[in-house]
Amino acid sequence: MERLDTVSSLQYFVPEIVLVFSLMAVLFCDLISKNRSQSERRLVIVIPTLIGLVVALFYAFAGAGEVSAGLFNNMVALDGFGNVLRILFIASSIFVLLFTVHSKELKSVHHGELLVLLLTVTVSLIWMANSINLMMIYLALETVSIASYVMVGYLKTDRFSNEASLKYIIFGAVSSGTMLFGMSLLFGLTGSLDLYEIRAALSNQEIVASSGPALMVIIVLILAGIGFKMATVPFHFWCPDVYTGAPTPVTAFLSVGPKVAGFAVLVRFFYGGLSEPAGGHNWAMVGSVDWQTILMVVAVLTMSLGNIAALTQTNVKRLLAYSSIAHAGYIMMGAAVLTGEGIQAMVAYMVVYLFMNLGAFLVVIIVHNEIGSFEVKDYAGIWRRAPMLTLVMGVFLFSLMGIPPFAGFLAKWYVFSAVIKAGLGWFAVVGGVNSAIGAFYYLQILKTMFVDGDETPSPAKPLILQPIYAGLLFVLVVPNIIGLLLWGYLDRVAQYSQRLLDVI
Amino acid sequence: METLAPKIIFWVFTGLMLGSALVVVLGTNLVRAAFALLATFFSVAAFYAMLGADFLAGVQILVYVGGILTLFLFGVMLTNRIYGLELETATFQLGSGALVSLTVFAVLVTVVLTTPWSQTALVEEGPTTPAIGRLLMTEYVLPFEIASVLLLVALLGAAMLVRRRIDL
Repeated sequence: MERLDTVSSLQYFVPEIVLVFSLMAVLFCDLISKNRSQSERRLVIVIPTLIGLVVALFYAFAGAGEVSAGLFNNMVALDGFGNVLRILFIASSIFVLLFTVHSKELKSVHHGELLVLLLTVTVSLIWMANSINLMMIYLALETVSIASYVMVGYLKTDRFSNEASLKYIIFGAVSSGTMLFGMSLLFGLTGSLDLYEIRAALSNQEIVASSGPALMVIIVLILAGIGFKMATVPFHFWCPDVYTGAPTPVTAFLSVGPKVAGFAVLVRFFYGGLSEPAGGHNWAMVGSVDWQTILMVVAVLTMSLGNIAALTQTNVKRLLAYSSIAHAGYIMMGAAVLTGEGIQAMVAYMVVYLFMNLGAFLVVIIVHNEIGSFEVKDYAGIWRRAPMLTLVMGVFLFSLMGIPPFAGFLAKWYVFSAVIKAGLGWFAVVGGVNSAIGAFYYLQILKTMFVDGDETPSPAKPLILQPIYAGLLFVLVVPNIIGLLLWGYLDRVAQYSQRLLDVI
Repeated sequence: METLAPKIIFWVFTGLMLGSALVVVLGTNLVRAAFALLATFFSVAAFYAMLGADFLAGVQILVYVGGILTLFLFGVMLTNRIYGLELETATFQLGSGALVSLTVFAVLVTVVLTTPWSQTALVEEGPTTPAIGRLLMTEYVLPFEIASVLLLVALLGAAMLVRRRIDL
């Protein structure tokens, strides 16, 4: 593993630098456009944000090379895994930026700070996913958290938005404090903040023999902080309330960005610090604690609870919140198998999840713009007003279910086959049963949209679809439909993303 | 005599810290709790100083005692009718609460006593500030810069939340 100093690291850090500069530029544009009309002003801030994100995306693609190194004296990793996630975060931010443009919820507020916060979260998500030093993990995670607290409470006059923000802050503060305590114990045990030095220290037989209880406490405490970001059981309590109260574009962002970054930290921490490559794409745990079992238990609980709780929800945002908890469980399955295929499966799942989940949320935004409601029962008869939109929603929901021709099936197939290959057949069965339960509530939404509401006498007025939203729907829905054709490409991405820092 | 003095200082500050922390947690008067917190922060700074972390001790006093606590006291005193306010919790589950905290306490004590912690000898060095400054500009320059992004966004968020609706 190569260790680069500050100056030679900068060339691999272009997307992050672009993002930091564009967040400052947007802040400045917001200031100088103070006297313009609201629509002009919105243009003046949206365009630099978009340019910044697109340029960063370009450099992120250009930077996805073969080099693996520890940048900035082993603070952040440069490897295939990080490069893929970097592209994923920037892409999701571009989608969310365009979601905010016509959102009715955000119509009455000024967007300046929201976009600055969006850029900040994007760049700190990248830092978070690539950190290989405990201090960096904490700093990046805290930056993500603080910016997202404000984004959730962005509608200052909305009571639910305030409540969501407050709940998020309290849960976030407790869990990050817990994680920090765990990190300090880990530092006390190993004498290092660097994950790879921690691994070396934990391989020492003397430490292994007598550090069992301490390591157990450390793992539980740190898992509390990571689990809060991933929204896995038992650290999921904030998730439904925050997702329901936040402005929907922000909810869409939270359900993808921080969740994926949480899983990235999980991989960096457990694969980098607490296990070592054992040849043939397998990993072996170091230290004396069987954390693989902990991760498996968390995965089973997360997907079961998410799916079962989603069954009784009547609010679409709340339902999608529980569904995102369930999906965190499926992604966790990939993390728990301790093989290279598991990491591949996680990344493949996250990529597909971005398209299907953002798509579903975009439909929720469009429908809310029109009918002003998030209740499932108010979706009745949407089919007659917007047949295309209903079909598109159908694709997203079938994809979330994991039904064969759509991309969601591919994602589930990756995870389940990785689990079976690792010899954990029962685990795949649990996942399969959960997918079946999940199908029920997704179908419930579809049934309401297609079937119900025929008895209402009101004339079927067509639903207005903004051109930007139509374009976004197209971009999001196509990969879901032709998912199976993209198999080869996804496989290449997954293979590439398996390259963690010290594995080629 | 030489070995006794640090021990006496240690126990004095430990007593001060735990005692004032108990006042913060158990007291019902907000102003008194805030002043007790001052003693807690100050004792923590004393521990840092005893461990040879002079810079950290200074920062602890400057930031926590000088900054955060002063702001906190301002907040308490500027709020109306704070003096008569009795702090109460609606649900006070003594049994289960005591059980959970005693379990956590027992686990942590066991862990602290049984684990072979990585130890370095306490070296009597001069001031640590130059070394910290050098590290911040060399090995830890990235966390240092990220901290500035963190502060920027915290400032921005706070300004945005307290602004009146009319200025939007």
